[in-house]
Amino acid sequence: MSIKIIKKGLSDSIQDYGRYGYQHLGIQPSGSMDFFSAWLANKILGNDLNNPVVELHFPSSQILFENNYTICITGANFVPVLNEKSIELNEPIQVHKNDVLSMLQPIKGRTSYVGINAKLNEPHWLGSHSYSKQTILKDQQFNFSDNNSSQAIDISQTTVSKSNKSLIEEVQKLVFDHNSPIRLIPGPSWSLLTDSSLTALLKKSFTITSQANRMGFNLMGTKLNLNVQNNFLSSAVTRGTLQLLPNGEIIVLMADHQTIGGYANLGQIILVDLPRFAQFKNGQSFNFELTSLEKASQLYRNIYEKFQH
Amino acid sequence: MKFKIQDWEIISLGDHAFMFSLEAKVDSKIVQKISALSNFIKSKNINGILDVIPSYHTLTVVYSITNFLHNNKSVNEQINNFCETILDEFKDQYKNVIQVIKEVIKVPVCYDSIFGIDLENLSIAKNISTTDVITIHSASIYEVYSIGFLPGFTYMGIVDEKIQMPRQDKPRMNVLAGSVGIAGLQTGIYPSNSPGGWQIIGRTPWDIFNRDENILSKFKVGDLVQFYPIQKIEFDKMNEHKL
Repeated sequence: MSIKIIKKGLSDSIQDYGRYGYQHLGIQPSGSMDFFSAWLANKILGNDLNNPVVELHFPSSQILFENNYTICITGANFVPVLNEKSIELNEPIQVHKNDVLSMLQPIKGRTSYVGINAKLNEPHWLGSHSYSKQTILKDQQFNFSDNNSSQAIDISQTTVSKSNKSLIEEVQKLVFDHNSPIRLIPGPSWSLLTDSSLTALLKKSFTITSQANRMGFNLMGTKLNLNVQNNFLSSAVTRGTLQLLPNGEIIVLMADHQTIGGYANLGQIILVDLPRFAQFKNGQSFNFELTSLEKASQLYRNIYEKFQH
Repeated sequence: MKFKIQDWEIISLGDHAFMFSLEAKVDSKIVQKISALSNFIKSKNINGILDVIPSYHTLTVVYSITNFLHNNKSVNEQINNFCETILDEFKDQYKNVIQVIKEVIKVPVCYDSIFGIDLENLSIAKNISTTDVITIHSASIYEVYSIGFLPGFTYMGIVDEKIQMPRQDKPRMNVLAGSVGIAGLQTGIYPSNSPGGWQIIGRTPWDIFNRDENILSKFKVGDLVQFYPIQKIEFDKMNEHKL
């Protein structure tokens, strides 16, 4: 028994926190793009925070449940319907065998998550369920266990607990605030930018282009220049890295990024701002702002601890 | 965050990684030191370290903010202290292991023109016979400087100047797994079918990457590799048995 993709969406996948420990062999980490919303779905269901979730983009896959489950949809609002009946976001929803989940319209955000109160058996590779070329299954069928292994949820009780309510509000604010700048920390090639490029990066706005997917988001904005040639010996890059392409444009590396890169590494978006950035739709404009390592670490720790309660 | 310890420069890569860096050169001594530091850090099984990634002159450590760092202490200080301790210990240890001679991994390559689709062009461009290209390519012992682009894709060097050639202007849509190529001073093997722009001069029957958790990549950064030519008939036999 499991869940089944009956109509394939544009770019949907199973994700957990990702596959770390193998980047030295060129194996990318992957993981949920908006990991706060993925955690939230699991939190509401009483799962482990990193229980695998279905990550949906629009147009989304249609999902057939082959068993009774409790699910929770978080992240982007694509107007979810269960057998054509509208359902709520950020709430536990009871689904029955042969129910079909569809998404009608992308109203808010870029990436939606479906949490399920069951353990996923397959696919699994190198400690993670996150999709990669090596984990492709026939028939888009995902084998979630039948015995609903998480016990914390009482299905008859449709309201969400008080502490979760404030967490939901907090995550919404964190992930769907389109007005605050995206904060970054300078990287190895920061000091190689020309003075005017440095000013442009911090003062001018940038826009998400249509060249945006799980590997990276290409940005449109002032073209930037270095004081040296943009050609370096390849070194490791991370999620959130701002790479300067030879044409002067920036690509921000996302969850499915390659492990190394040979272009200028200008800096990194801080972890706490990455889910918000990942929810930006094509055409969204924003500004960058510098922050410190100390502040970034503290902000992340604060929200992480709220998820632990 | 940026600071120096001994001949190392350490710089943060955002809030969940930092990079040790030596002089930016394609250099055997440098990559061997990077690879040794990588092994040293891994051997310590430090809580909260997610990835240790060597590449040419850099070693990147990816960490979990909540497991690797302590609360209520300066992050800069913690990372500085961590690097100082590691590099001090490493310095003492590295002195003692530097004499160890590494085994050379001998990789069979069939340079037949059905596999080496760019061999003839390279020989014309470099004004050298195809036989000499093969002799020169298989004479050198290469070092693995980096792995990336695809799981298990190796960047080896240094290719003899006589057969160095830049990438194709336009990458091919599909280079077959096992293809051996040249790109500038680097040579490497495609672990899986993929788009790619390297000048393809032959193919190995070896599986360079296997998804089996106990096998994965044939090579790691710092390994020594030498190619040896095989005939098509040997290739077919090895390919059949996946020797």
